[in-house]
Amino acid sequence: MNASAQVMRRNAYDIHEIQMPGGTVVDEYISPAGTVFAVSWHGQFPPPMQQILGTYFQQYSAALQAQSSQPKMYGHRPLNIQEQGLVVQTSGHMRAHSGRAYLPDLLPTGMTVNQIQ
Amino acid sequence: MLGLSVAAGCGGATTTSTTTTSSSGSGSDDNVLSIAVNGGPEANQMNGGIYENAAFASATICAPGSTSNCVTIDDLLVDTGSNGLRVFDTEVASLNLPAAKASNGSPAYDCVSFVSGAYLWGPVQQGDVTLGSETGSNVPIHVISSSTTGIPSSCSNGSTENDNTAAMMGANGILGVGVEPTDCFYEDASACDPASGLSSAPYPAYYTCSGSTCGPAFVATANQVTNPVALFAKDNNGVIVKLPSASSPTGTLSGSLVFGIGTESNNQLPSSATVFTLSCDAFTTIFDGQTFGITNATTCAGPYSFIDSGSNALYFPNVPNLAECSSNTPVGDLSGLYCPATTQSFSATMKGADSSSQAASFSVANAESLFSSAATSSDAVQPNLAGTNPTGYGFDWGLPFFYGVNLYNAIDGRSVPSGAPAAPWWAY
Repeated sequence: MNASAQVMRRNAYDIHEIQMPGGTVVDEYISPAGTVFAVSWHGQFPPPMQQILGTYFQQYSAALQAQSSQPKMYGHRPLNIQEQGLVVQTSGHMRAHSGRAYLPDLLPTGMTVNQIQ
Repeated sequence: MLGLSVAAGCGGATTTSTTTTSSSGSGSDDNVLSIAVNGGPEANQMNGGIYENAAFASATICAPGSTSNCVTIDDLLVDTGSNGLRVFDTEVASLNLPAAKASNGSPAYDCVSFVSGAYLWGPVQQGDVTLGSETGSNVPIHVISSSTTGIPSSCSNGSTENDNTAAMMGANGILGVGVEPTDCFYEDASACDPASGLSSAPYPAYYTCSGSTCGPAFVATANQVTNPVALFAKDNNGVIVKLPSASSPTGTLSGSLVFGIGTESNNQLPSSATVFTLSCDAFTTIFDGQTFGITNATTCAGPYSFIDSGSNALYFPNVPNLAECSSNTPVGDLSGLYCPATTQSFSATMKGADSSSQAASFSVANAESLFSSAATSSDAVQPNLAGTNPTGYGFDWGLPFFYGVNLYNAIDGRSVPSGAPAAPWWAY
């Protein structure tokens, strides 16, 4: 790991902040047991999803494909994937991306999803 | 989610000089392009659909220096939320446009991602672009590939939604006329330019290819996909989107895209307008007791609020009792849109990076009812259509906000009328 990174300590979790090559900031939310249970990002470019989702990437990709194959209205809406055990959400516009992915079953007790930003 | 291995990035800046014509013009209307919210090119196609709340316009593209080797493309999405002209390769194939080169000397390819995960991929080629009566010469254009050969996984990024046809996009391309000169320019610099100081090219953005293998590459700002308005000989400091008001669904709205701000008699900034200066190309929205705005102007962290003609609804974080639609309705997947039992009225406050402030009100109707009702289902203009921002992080003022408003978009770094703050900004 040679990314520009810093760690912020919270009560129930740590945030590991990573600066991607184009300036996009990715925050990893890490439980006391060392598990990354959430990531969030913001920046000009979306983050490399395979790298930040790891083993959940295939589930994410399959969910995206299922969503885009359904009939729907035109226009690019924010993404809101609610899968068993995985949530991925985005907002922003071209060259301005925000989003988060988390494992709802692994959120520390007392933490709300609004804290993942 | 574990196992990140990324190269370190460091900040850098690039300086560009720009020339803006700011003398008063003749007062003729040669700086006006007609636009219409009319459902788009797929609205009347078999198995096609209406693109609600999308404004469309035409552009003429010519081979550089030619006045005869030209094509005119209708039904381009007018998008103030992006920068640069993007058309399908089938539309410009006959022109044999020259490639724009990356800094390594190879033809440059561009990749852009939408928040939905959808993406566009294809080479950058140069053409003379005429909008109305104004022409930009040698404009780097994103030519969207009909082929999927060579699309790097860092571009598709897990998505299979390649919007490389009108049937997929609902438009014949995108006319990006936002507040930046190129699609990789931001906060006075371009991360995609070799002068950025970055140790490696950012992605997904620009690429070069060797055979069918493509990798990230730096591209000089002058060769990046460019907002055509920024290359006009005059009236090149921004645009005004003018659309009439609409309080209920209707079939079409006709308006205009006016080029230049304060450069002609027909594009003066009225003293009554509120000007919102931008930080990180965003401003602040205060809604439902929450503040959605950049919290760190250096890192651009924080909830991001913006005005965007290319968003076809207002998208904002949910508030109590505002029901969301189902993913499985008789009219399709409406998840992400709002479906309140009765139409709800709201107000919010917009604030610029300076202290400018203006109240804005809007209504949210039931999207399923709008799309199901015989009276409204074929209407392209849906002023009360809204959806959720699932991240809870920011407010997107899409095209419904533009109805009844003259929305000024001043381009980053360009000259502005006397007394106005430095661009970029929005004003209305």
